[in-house]
Amino acid sequence: MAAVAPLPQPELAATYEMPVEQVSLLQDAWNRIRRNRLALVGACIIALLLTTAIVATFWTPYPVWLQAVGPTYQPPSAKHLLGLDQAGRDILSRIMGGATITIQVGVGSAIIVSLIGIPLGLIAGYYRGWVDTAISFFINIWYGIPDLLVALILVFVLSDALHLIPRGVFVIVLAFSLTRWMDVARLVRGQTLALREREFVEAARMSGARNLRIVARHILPNALGPIIVQATFAIPAAVLFEAFLSFLGLGLPSPTPSWGAMAADGYHGMDFAPHIVLAPTIALSITLMAFNWLGDGLRDAFDPRMRH
Amino acid sequence: MTRGTVSYIGQRLILIAVTTVLVSSIVFLLLHQIPGNAFLNETRTSPQSLAANLHHYGLDLPLPQQYVNWFTNVLHGNLGESLKNRGVFITPLLIREASVSATVGFFALLITIGLGLILGVIAALRQNTWIDYVASSASVVGYSIPSFVLAIFGLLIAGHYFYIWTGGTLYYVPGWGKIEQIPVPALALGLPYAAYVARLTRASMLETIRTDYVRTAWAKGLKPRVVVIRHALRNALIPVVTILGPLITGIITGSVVIENIFGIPGLGKEFITSILARDYNIVIGVFTFYAALVGLANLAVDVIYPVLDPRIRY
Repeated sequence: MAAVAPLPQPELAATYEMPVEQVSLLQDAWNRIRRNRLALVGACIIALLLTTAIVATFWTPYPVWLQAVGPTYQPPSAKHLLGLDQAGRDILSRIMGGATITIQVGVGSAIIVSLIGIPLGLIAGYYRGWVDTAISFFINIWYGIPDLLVALILVFVLSDALHLIPRGVFVIVLAFSLTRWMDVARLVRGQTLALREREFVEAARMSGARNLRIVARHILPNALGPIIVQATFAIPAAVLFEAFLSFLGLGLPSPTPSWGAMAADGYHGMDFAPHIVLAPTIALSITLMAFNWLGDGLRDAFDPRMRH
Repeated sequence: MTRGTVSYIGQRLILIAVTTVLVSSIVFLLLHQIPGNAFLNETRTSPQSLAANLHHYGLDLPLPQQYVNWFTNVLHGNLGESLKNRGVFITPLLIREASVSATVGFFALLITIGLGLILGVIAALRQNTWIDYVASSASVVGYSIPSFVLAIFGLLIAGHYFYIWTGGTLYYVPGWGKIEQIPVPALALGLPYAAYVARLTRASMLETIRTDYVRTAWAKGLKPRVVVIRHALRNALIPVVTILGPLITGIITGSVVIENIFGIPGLGKEFITSILARDYNIVIGVFTFYAALVGLANLAVDVIYPVLDPRIRY
């Protein structure tokens, strides 16, 4: 009698399908963005800008407002790397101070734009019906206006004419956000409309989750990627708006080292002292470029169509 | 023109009218919240003449009455009278200035679309050659440089360095009235958007030239010009047209600062001048004008759509 061959033991590892490596949203995005050289350059420039902004809040080579630290209109030298402006202020210090303003305006606007746009988009997309119709109508109306010019009038009315809010970073951020929240709102609305039909939302509803919980825990986290991208693109737009306003003399008041205002200062002496106008405009252009590159990289990284 | 298209355009025109009236009403009400009156900053005036001034402009009426008057006038195409220069009526003034702005804007748009399309198509057709690299890097840098920075560079190079290099024979003088004063502002206004259009065209051209129908067109032995322009570009244009609306808004907004830098007597210069001079009637007027313009530009873009893509119908 032949010995009964032992039953082959199933190999444990083979019976279970190895789960696909779990990657979180942010990690996946990071893996993708690492391969995008332009986005990395942008991120490095932004890191430098952030460092400069933080350093400048505590220390600059000369106080940003201090006049006559040397001869006016002095071109760049070893002592003053970017030269001196028409009032004899150190331009390097002012560029550094301008970095702080830029970061405040950019990040502040991204936050407020999201604070306005995300709830409106979520409500419109989740409840649909007349709420959606109303909000969408509002969004469409808002799209049809020259937004920067409304923002410009808002800044002027709120701070110059009514003296409600002192002319400063906050009023600029507020005016910008009030006229530019539609991009985020429209995006979130679209995402919510698509996500609310998905199985996991249904499952959550079946298990008795309330609307607020579904929106906050299931829909919003899944829409986060595109929201981050949209908020990133709001930063250069806000920075440009601030520079545009300050250049026209309607933005930050005079001693504030805003890049736009510095460009306006230097613009009059351009023929004989081009360094005054070149420093802030180049700084502004590089900053905008860095944010746009990072934004493009993030958009490619978070684009669900590209995944796997 | 189907019946659907006509009713669509009709609906949009109504929406544009509503938007324009709504937004300019907000601006009207905002500007009328400002305490004091428009004549306070001037040299000392007797109470009688101040009252006469206020009465002349109807500013002594209660606000709702002022609003109704303004609204009725706007519906009749009358935007009112300048507060600072009595006797200057705003509608003809703005129409005159709008023609100046439109000239600059037209050439800027020409540069944007012409240059953007040409660069984008060439970069896509010569993908991964030096031509592509040069065009792509130029556009990736160009679309981040704001037009007012380009304007400053343009003024510095064309106005100052050209004078030195050519010994004063060929250089740009800021101002308006001569043909040779058009290119520099138009370039400053159009180039950033041209870079953007080039990027977009390249991406969508790369997609289209790999489609089956383009391969078929090549296989049929059609001339390259016909394949590229009639088969590939026409379809590649659709995503480009989507951004034309924001682009025109951008050019209109950009013209505000460009006109101030180059001293061009257009709407944008008027807008800033009157804000700083507190001539609120003109501010409201220019704004109403702009709101209508932006709406109409967007409508024009939407009407172009079905021409390019017959699948889109209204």
